[in-house]
Amino acid sequence: MSENKIYFKFDGKTYGGNQGDTIASALLRNEVKLVGRSFKYHRPRGIYTCGIEEPNALVQLINEHNEPNVRATVKKIYDGMVVKSQNRWPSLKRDLGSINNLLSPIFSAGFYYKTFMGPKGFWKNVYEPLIRRTAGLGKPPREFKSKSIHLHHNIDILIVGGGLAGLLAAKKLAGTDQDVLLVERDNNLGGILRNSNKIKSIDGQKSADWIEKTEWLLKSANNIKILKNTTVTTYNYKDHLIAIEDKTVGAQPDNNKPELVMHKIRTKHTVLANGHIERFLSFRNNDLPGVMLAASFEKYIHRYGVVADTSPVIFTNNSSTFSLLKTMVDMNHKPKAYVDVRDSKKIEKETLELINNYNIPFYPKSEIEGCEGKNQIEKVFIRTKKDKTLKIKTSMLCISGGLNPDIHLFTQSKGLVKWDEKILTFKPEKSFQNTITLGSVSGNFHFEKLVEEVNKKLGFIEGCNNVNTNIEVLGPKEFYIKEIWETKSLKKSLWSKSFIDLQNDVTTKDLRQAIREGFDRIEHLKRFTTNSMGTDQGKISSINALGIASKLLKKSVSEVGTTTYRPPYSPVSFSAIAGRSTYEFYDPVRKTPIHPWHEKQNAVFEDVGQWKRPWYFKKNENESMRDAVQRESKKVRESAGILDGSTLGKIEIKGRDALQFINLMYTNSFTKMKPMSGRYGLMLGEDGMVKDDGIVCKINDQHFIATTTTGGAASVLSHMEEYAQTEWPHMNVFMNSITEQFSTFNLSGPKSRIIIQRVFPSVDFSNEKFPYMTFKFLDYLDTQVRILRASFTGELGYEIYVPPKHALKLWERIFYSSRDIELVPYGTETMHLLRAEKGYIIVGQDTDGTVTPIDLNLNWMIGKNKNDFIGKRSLNRSDIIKSDRKQLVGLVPIDKSYGIEEGQHVIEQENLSTPIKKPVKMLGQVTSSYFSPTLNHSVAMALIKEGNRKIGSHLFVSTSNLNTIAVEVVKPNFIDPENVRLKS
Amino acid sequence: MLLINCPYCGERDQSEFTNGGEAHVIRPKNPENVNDREWSEYVFIRANPKGIYYERWVHSHGCKKWFNAIRNTSTDEILKVYKMGESPPPIKGFKNTLKSPSGEPDVGSGNFAVKKT
Ligand SMILES: [Zn+2]
Repeated sequence: MSENKIYFKFDGKTYGGNQGDTIASALLRNEVKLVGRSFKYHRPRGIYTCGIEEPNALVQLINEHNEPNVRATVKKIYDGMVVKSQNRWPSLKRDLGSINNLLSPIFSAGFYYKTFMGPKGFWKNVYEPLIRRTAGLGKPPREFKSKSIHLHHNIDILIVGGGLAGLLAAKKLAGTDQDVLLVERDNNLGGILRNSNKIKSIDGQKSADWIEKTEWLLKSANNIKILKNTTVTTYNYKDHLIAIEDKTVGAQPDNNKPELVMHKIRTKHTVLANGHIERFLSFRNNDLPGVMLAASFEKYIHRYGVVADTSPVIFTNNSSTFSLLKTMVDMNHKPKAYVDVRDSKKIEKETLELINNYNIPFYPKSEIEGCEGKNQIEKVFIRTKKDKTLKIKTSMLCISGGLNPDIHLFTQSKGLVKWDEKILTFKPEKSFQNTITLGSVSGNFHFEKLVEEVNKKLGFIEGCNNVNTNIEVLGPKEFYIKEIWETKSLKKSLWSKSFIDLQNDVTTKDLRQAIREGFDRIEHLKRFTTNSMGTDQGKISSINALGIASKLLKKSVSEVGTTTYRPPYSPVSFSAIAGRSTYEFYDPVRKTPIHPWHEKQNAVFEDVGQWKRPWYFKKNENESMRDAVQRESKKVRESAGILDGSTLGKIEIKGRDALQFINLMYTNSFTKMKPMSGRYGLMLGEDGMVKDDGIVCKINDQHFIATTTTGGAASVLSHMEEYAQTEWPHMNVFMNSITEQFSTFNLSGPKSRIIIQRVFPSVDFSNEKFPYMTFKFLDYLDTQVRILRASFTGELGYEIYVPPKHALKLWERIFYSSRDIELVPYGTETMHLLRAEKGYIIVGQDTDGTVTPIDLNLNWMIGKNKNDFIGKRSLNRSDIIKSDRKQLVGLVPIDKSYGIEEGQHVIEQENLSTPIKKPVKMLGQVTSSYFSPTLNHSVAMALIKEGNRKIGSHLFVSTSNLNTIAVEVVKPNFIDPENVRLKS
Repeated sequence: MLLINCPYCGERDQSEFTNGGEAHVIRPKNPENVNDREWSEYVFIRANPKGIYYERWVHSHGCKKWFNAIRNTSTDEILKVYKMGESPPPIKGFKNTLKSPSGEPDVGSGNFAVKKT
């Protein structure tokens, strides 16, 4: 063995472990019992369990991921692994935070809600930083490069759990036509067969041999796939389950391989064979290191060959501890005491025989009153049946409070559970989905009846034969239990506590207090006390809390009910959820064909949806954004500018009824519009609110091209599709996105005609031959270029549409053709400035889904003679025609040296008190504001109440430092209101 | 995650679909002839029952076709899918289907055990 030793570090000290050891089994092998400090009181904590249910032994892995809250009882060690304890400062043994334990009266149930109410400002400055430092678990990683992937499965039958029940189910299905997936969270199959000595023989063989043969049989059947190290965390509708596979068990994560795999499984039937979880008991200081669940103690022996203690005290209320007793005596280890709350007449004969034969100190009808010790358990106090208290020295106490079927996944599937008075726990009653429970998860703790259960419940599946496995049980066949949740504490010191939730440091006293304060509903009780709200979700203790609550409320447990189990079953790493969707893969980046040119010209990019758009171009390193935008804007109005508008949404609409359809989609009328012309169109929702805008070009009555905003491209297309398919399916109309089929350049400015004439000399660009809002197709190389005379700047302008393969060449040709003319490339910020000077709106900036065309004074765009269009009727609703709605206006500062801030309030009063004491009447808000280089002052657009009537009046705009600026309300059109430039 | 049977493509994960709200909400033929109340009912008011619901879906990451589905909002069971334009099957045909997942009340939601007391 020793040549296979694996060395790892825990809190700086090196320990050796065996291949296959978990951190916990390796630490126990080295007799380390103290592994962490608790969440609230910083009490010393040890290893409580041997699996996924662990509430205490959470550690921090120090590797490139810095993984916090790792269960020491699950994570396998690897050579060179570095592990640290959590929640302690400066060291595990001398922890300063444990002063909290002495302050515990103020940390009782609801403490956070009650104590931190005031004084004002204390929460932010005093309480929160203090709590954050002392409470909490591990430290999250600073950065995480996900190395996880997602896999999908579509199968017939999923078996959750590769223990005895799961293996029998798989064996039954082997060789059938069913596509079966068997998922086991451990790194090997067998479950209870490997973890205890409860089963003497199976088919006359030793358990390990039977598992090996069965696994071979399953693997040689070609219809079963086995996934190990895989935990099912989620059971969704409809039989859709999520499982996380750990690919790095017992090894350092490999940088080039996936670390976790998220399996998304859609199945026809789900077989839950995921077993049970032992529950604990509450007594004084039941959290001390050295207190461990009995079955877990036994699992360490069988599974890892670790005997954590050779003479523990055993405390039980049920028959399942027989196997631990048997395991111990078989190894010639004699327990210090066997304390059973049951009367000896009620204790199964097999246990009594062992106790007699091996002369084990026996305390029937007795209980553990409590235990004491400094950093671990040193002595226990037994209350005997004659109500005497007896002190016994021990360093280990193994407890069993009963067995809970692991119904987490079953309840996630919305199955109904029912309280069973015989086994004192909830068990599945009725499946909601195609769920079958087998073995102890179904409340069947009787191994010899398991084969019958498997044959019966899976009998409906075609082509499977009966399994005839013969199981011989060691010890009691039935499960016997007596109800007990908590023992009465005698000693009262500040340090004495009886816990109900170890991870969240909730005591039974907290439960009692909460119920006294009126939190008598279980969901309220849970949230008020934070019971079972840790990362373990109270797996070993939540039923106990129900038990205690039921006693206090004098109700049966089934009346108290359970809280709702929600996914995930156990914590899921964000890495697994993210999969490959991280960093550059998180969201695709869309670039226009001109992107490399923009980069060379020092463009600063802006994200618009997935697109990268030039925001502004830096002329030199020292040029600020403001300077660049002022320069670009000025040049467009003086000479010419060009914008890469390729991201603009473009939709082609064709069909016999295209005209009728377009008339219904937009407010404008397109009937009398001449072919080869364009029109600015407004699209509304059925509620009458502006949804999108753009230029609609008519090629003929059966063929239109609509442009949309960059962000609205996808939603406008699906809006059109929806109406075409659902409201007017009789119409012959088809639409298709051509956004990526054409790159778009917006050439704008007084010199743009000279430039475009040079680029396309064959076309007559004169105002007479190519007037405003018309467009032309022309042959270009092996394809076609479309030119639309339109403008979003208020200047003479052309939009050039070119297939992307020729886009960059054409862009460069435009610049080459204008080498003696000043042509400036401009970005989105300049575009916004220029259109604001002109009073053109941006849907989504100057509108917000509550704005109608009337509010925008765009009444002229509403086709008055049209019978119908989407949203038309809503424009006559009483609320829409009210005159006191907000309307779009322009604002100009009276003192021209001031700038107006976007998003500020428009108000009537000049002076604001600091701090503001009374509500200030708000008229509206500034939606756009820019400093106009052409006008040399700030111009703004705002939506204000009764705006149209306020034109010419003076109002105030608040500023971020609580001053106000006096403004004049004007029409939102600051440059060339007569459109002389536009139509020149 | 639901498993939805697109009438054009077959069974696919819910993630490929977008819900389009209540089905068979008829847009008035002549919107100008209805009063404010009737119009607002068409635009804003939806049934949203706990139980059987006629709703629209679109296979947005697939064939992009709209269709109708009858879903029990309490159990999430999809009882039927049918194409646009087909007449809706009568609700009484689904009276015998499961009303709620774990036998909780027909109306309201929440913890069954808490509800009962
Ligand atoms: Zn489809």
